[in-house]
Amino acid sequence: MSSVAAPSKQAIKSLYHNMLRSSQSFSSYNFREYFERRTKETFRAMQNESDPNKLRDMYADALKESTSLRRGAIVNQLYGGWKVAVEVPEKPEEILERGNN
Amino acid sequence: MLARVSRTVARRANVTRTLCGSRRSFVQPSGADRASVVDVPSTYQEENHFAPSPDMLGFKLEAPQRDSSATEQVRPIYLDLQATTPVDPRVLDAMLPYFTDQYGNPHSRTHAYGWEAEKAVEVARKNVADIIGADTKDIVFTSGATETNNMAIKGVARFHKEKKRHVITTQTEHKCVLDSCRKLSEEGFDITYLPVQKNGVIDLAELEAAIRPDTSLISIMAVNNETGVIQPLKEIGAIARKHRGVYFHTDAAQAVGKIPLDVNEMNIDLMSISGHKLYGPKGVGAAYVRRRPRVRLEPILSGGGQERGLRSGTLPTALVVGLGEAARIAQKEMARDHARIKQLSDRLIQGINAEVEQVVRNGDENGYPGCVNLSFSYVEGESLLMALKEIALSSGSACTSASLEPSYVLRALGAAEDMAHSSLRFGIGRFTTEAEIDFVVKRIVATVHRLREMSPLWEMVQEGIDINSINWSQH
Repeated sequence: MSSVAAPSKQAIKSLYHNMLRSSQSFSSYNFREYFERRTKETFRAMQNESDPNKLRDMYADALKESTSLRRGAIVNQLYGGWKVAVEVPEKPEEILERGNN
Repeated sequence: MLARVSRTVARRANVTRTLCGSRRSFVQPSGADRASVVDVPSTYQEENHFAPSPDMLGFKLEAPQRDSSATEQVRPIYLDLQATTPVDPRVLDAMLPYFTDQYGNPHSRTHAYGWEAEKAVEVARKNVADIIGADTKDIVFTSGATETNNMAIKGVARFHKEKKRHVITTQTEHKCVLDSCRKLSEEGFDITYLPVQKNGVIDLAELEAAIRPDTSLISIMAVNNETGVIQPLKEIGAIARKHRGVYFHTDAAQAVGKIPLDVNEMNIDLMSISGHKLYGPKGVGAAYVRRRPRVRLEPILSGGGQERGLRSGTLPTALVVGLGEAARIAQKEMARDHARIKQLSDRLIQGINAEVEQVVRNGDENGYPGCVNLSFSYVEGESLLMALKEIALSSGSACTSASLEPSYVLRALGAAEDMAHSSLRFGIGRFTTEAEIDFVVKRIVATVHRLREMSPLWEMVQEGIDINSINWSQH
């Protein structure tokens, strides 16, 4: 794939930050957690990758995905946003006291 | 009491203060945090229903708006992924252009709108074919797995009805398969419903014994939607291949994108694929109909002959593109998702087993890890579900959840009636997190303990009395 030249460290880093920022801007809890985790995993794999051809392919894939992710985040902000039960901090159980009469 | 008084005082004050001709809202709604009244007053009517009263002096009524209620609602944790899955944002992103500017009919041959829609449909077809190892031309898009099941079972049986009058299926199939078979039996076909073993897997020897010279179709689902049991498709395909003229159909709605499938390796002739089980949109599905050797079937829908004449009708481009994109993503993520879902599933089961005893897992240990069906002894299923309001779970399949009968799948597995009633199905998917699993484990453990404390049967079991030996007296 010679369409994208071997990505520089700076390019990879800036793509990572962009994608992480898009992932964190999802309103829905499940999508936000999933895309954050996935972005970190993908770029960690890229960091450990030594074959330059494979690295180029991974970078090209990630580049295509980053625009789709950004649009997905925008649409999700328009329509999503309700909190899921696991995000709401739990209220401590009310201790009911019995009266003496 | 005080709140009631203040409301009527405010109402009168509002009316006397205003001038003629100006619009004022009748009563300002107070937020839930300010309400100290538990029950509504006897004079209270529906929120949006205000009857005009004489002392209003002809003012217009404005129904109180629920402002920004979107941010106040708390949604339950979704663990019902066998019923349906959320649409992946990447899939939605691929679909939206076909709902906005690129709205052409893919069957229009004369202009660019049609050509670009057709191109998108063909790309989607390739993606769906790749995930099951099929050829592009074998895929037919339908409106869902139910339509495909109907098409496959009724279509094949009716096409061969002159010479072949026998169809084989299992007792744990999806409702649409069982209902199609029932319809066929009304038309005069013989149907064999194979029983399953205790772990949900069919007995291959029984299947072989059930095949007759006039069998036209074997229909066995790949992954069961209630218990997650994976059937041995390769072996079943080999058996079907041995007997000439017997076609093998599998309802792979729950399996596609989750376990690796290959129609050539598994000798599958017909397969049903559902879009909304794959993180795609609802309302679309696909059928795999083998062309070499050709599977002939009678189509259900007559029309313009689209989709090789097997399914006439305009293709919903956006939905089809969504299905294709979902299939492509599933193919890429399958290994990663499977490992993660296995991890979460183990976490769930171990978490529950560590704190709660007498929990039975229905189905096979080696089934699909994303579908965990647990029965809690001495706990009533409905009350358990009602207590878990912040978790979206189901007991049994969505198709049968309206009726009070215990699930027929669990009964086929040999579960006792009360155990079948107290079963919960946990669905774990791509977007489930560890925090959600931990929350669920904590909630389930607390609720089961609480319900068991209240149960006299549990008390007796704790004391060592054998429930089955009790002679219940008749009243």
